[in-house]
Amino acid sequence: MAHVVLKDLVKTYGTFNAVNHVSLTVNDGEFVALVGPSGCGKTTTLNLVAGLIPITSGEIAIGDRVVNDLDPKDRDIAMVFQNYALYPQKSVYKNLAFPLQMRKLPREEIDRKVREAAQVLDMTHLLERKPRELSGGQQQRVALGRALVRDPAVFLMDEPLSNLDAKLRVQMRSEIKRFHQDLKATIIYVTHDQLEAVTMADRMAVMNGGFLQQYDSPAQVFAHPVNMFVASFIGSPAMSLVPLEASKADGQTVLTSAEGWALPLSDRNARKVEAATSRKVVLGARHSTIRLHKSPVPGAVPAKAYTVEPTGDVTFVQAFVAAAIVNISVPPTVPVAPDEPIWLEFDQERIHLFDGETEMALNAD
Amino acid sequence: MSTIGATGTKPRRNRPKVDGWRWAGRIFLVLMLLYTAVPMVWMLITSIKSGFAAMQFPPQWWPAEPTLASYRKLLDPQNSVGQDFLRFFWNSLIVSTLTTILAVIVAVPAAYAFSRFSFPGRKFLFFAVLLRNMFPAVIFLVPLFILMRVLGLVNTHGSLVLTYLTFGLPLAIWLLKGFYDNIPIQLEQAARIDGATRFQAFMLIVMPLSVPGIIATAIYSFIAAWNEYIYAYTFLSKNDQLTLPVGIQRFFSENTTDFPGLMAASFMMSVPVVVLFLVLQRYFVRALTEGAVKH
Repeated sequence: MAHVVLKDLVKTYGTFNAVNHVSLTVNDGEFVALVGPSGCGKTTTLNLVAGLIPITSGEIAIGDRVVNDLDPKDRDIAMVFQNYALYPQKSVYKNLAFPLQMRKLPREEIDRKVREAAQVLDMTHLLERKPRELSGGQQQRVALGRALVRDPAVFLMDEPLSNLDAKLRVQMRSEIKRFHQDLKATIIYVTHDQLEAVTMADRMAVMNGGFLQQYDSPAQVFAHPVNMFVASFIGSPAMSLVPLEASKADGQTVLTSAEGWALPLSDRNARKVEAATSRKVVLGARHSTIRLHKSPVPGAVPAKAYTVEPTGDVTFVQAFVAAAIVNISVPPTVPVAPDEPIWLEFDQERIHLFDGETEMALNAD
Repeated sequence: MSTIGATGTKPRRNRPKVDGWRWAGRIFLVLMLLYTAVPMVWMLITSIKSGFAAMQFPPQWWPAEPTLASYRKLLDPQNSVGQDFLRFFWNSLIVSTLTTILAVIVAVPAAYAFSRFSFPGRKFLFFAVLLRNMFPAVIFLVPLFILMRVLGLVNTHGSLVLTYLTFGLPLAIWLLKGFYDNIPIQLEQAARIDGATRFQAFMLIVMPLSVPGIIATAIYSFIAAWNEYIYAYTFLSKNDQLTLPVGIQRFFSENTTDFPGLMAASFMMSVPVVVLFLVLQRYFVRALTEGAVKH
C-alpha cells in the first residue's frame, strides 16, 4: 500500500477546465471519497490518477514515485469501474487471472491467487461462469475480485455501486468498507452519492466545477461546511438556505427578511455577520436543528407549510420562509397540514451563516 | 382509426383490422419470395435440361430427361470449356479473397482509430471516406481506367483489387466503427490498468469482441467483389485473367448460347456466396443490428 499525492493537478479540454488546480494527499491505508455532482471533475481526477488520460499540468505521485509519464499498467493500481468492465468473453476465473497473466506470473501462482480471491469474495462456485450469467451483485464482486487479486498500491473505484439496486447497494457498501478495514488498503472512491461518501470514507473531497471545495473528515464537512455549495450538497435532506439581510436594531445585530420580520442573533453569530463584507447573509440550517411551532413564540420566524412527507420515523415538512424553501423534520405525532401557518425556531448554536456575495461560510474569529 | 363512439365495440372492431394488415403483409412477403426465388429455381431447372429441351416452347416445367451433363462439362479439366470455367472461378476466388483480406486489414485499424482517438481532421476524414459512395460506380470507370493504365495495372488482378477496395472500405469502416463504438471503452481501460499495453488491450480484449463485425465486413467485401461485373469487364481483356461474371457471359455467347451450360455456371457461381452467407449469417445479422438495442 502507498500514499497518493496530487499537486496542483489541472486537466483542460480545449477551453474547458475539467480539473482546476486540485491538490490533495491520500495517506497510506486511507479511504478517500471524491464526491460532487455530475460533471464536477471527480471521475476525470480519478482517470488522471489511473493514467487513462494525460494530465495538462501538475504532478501525481503514488508512493514516492512521480507517475505523470507512466502507463496505467506501470502505476501499480487497480480500478473498479461503474459498469464493472468485466471481459465478456472470459469466464470469471479468466477475468480474475488476466491481471496476473499480464504480469507473467507462473501458472500455479495465478491459480492459487485466483482461488484465494474467489474464496475471500465467496464466489468459488461462480468461477466457470461468464459475466453475463451473473447477477449485478455478483458482477460487482468479480470486479472487486479482479482489483484485489493483484495486491496493488492503490485501489481506484469509480462509482462502483451506482448500478446496483438500493438494497444491494447498502449491502455492498458495508462489504467494501469491511474490505478496506481488513486490507488496510489505500482507496480513492468516486461517487455522486454524498451518503456513500459520508458513510464509507475516512476523508471526503467535495468537488464542484473542477475545483476542490473542501477536504476533510465527513463529520467535519457535515458540521463545518466551508461554503454554500458544500453545505447544500452534503446531508439529506439538503441544508436549507434562506437569503436575508443583516442590520442593526436597538444595538443588536439582526437578520431581516423582505417580509418584515427580524431574527436576533446570538453574540457569536453577530460577530460572524459583522465580519462579513456584504450585508447579504444566507442563513443555513439542517432539518433537525429547526423547531416547529404551531403558534408564535419569541425568536421564531413565521413560515407557511408547503408539503408534508411522512416517512414513518419522522415527517419532513417543507415550508416557505422569506420566499425560500426550508426542510424541517418533526415527530410523526405532530400534525401539520399544507398551507398551515407555522413558526420556526432556529438553534443559534447550530445554524450556519454564509456571505451572500462570496457564498463562503462566515467565521467568528 | 375508426371513430365509432361506443366503447364496447371498439376493441372488437380493431382486432380484425390489425389481422387484415398482417395478412396483407404476409401476402406481400410471399410475393417477394416468389419474385426472388422463381428465377433461381428456373436457373436450377434449366441447368439440368438438355440443350434442346431448354429451347422448347411451351417450356418443360420439369425436364423430361434431367441430366447433369452441363455440370460435368464445366467441371472437367480435360475439356476446354471446363478449363476456362475453372480458371475464371479461380481468378474470381483470388480477386475476392485478396480484396477481403486487404479490406479487413485496412478497415479494422481505421475503424478503431475513428472510434477511439481524436485527431485533427477526424470528422472530415470520416465523411470523406463516404465520398466515393455518393456517386454511381460508373462515373469512376474511365478515370480509374486511366489511372490504372498510368500505374501499369491494366490487365492485372491488382487493378480490380484496388478498385473493389475503394468501394468496400467506406462501408466496412462505418460498419466496424459502429461495432467499436458499442464496445465500452472501460474494457480497454481495465485491461490497460490490469497490465496490458494499448496494443495488447486491443488485440486481447477488443479484437475477440469485434469478431462478428469483422466477419460481416469480410462477407460484404467478398460478395461485392465476387459479383462485380463492369470494372472487371473494362480492366481485363485477356481471356486467362477474366473473373466469373465476365467470363461466363463472354464464353457462352460466342457460339449459339448454351443455356443449360450458362445456367449451370451461374448456379455454381452463386454457390460460394450462398454457402458463405448461410454459415456466417448469424454474425452478419448481429453486426447489422448491433447498437439498435441497448444491452
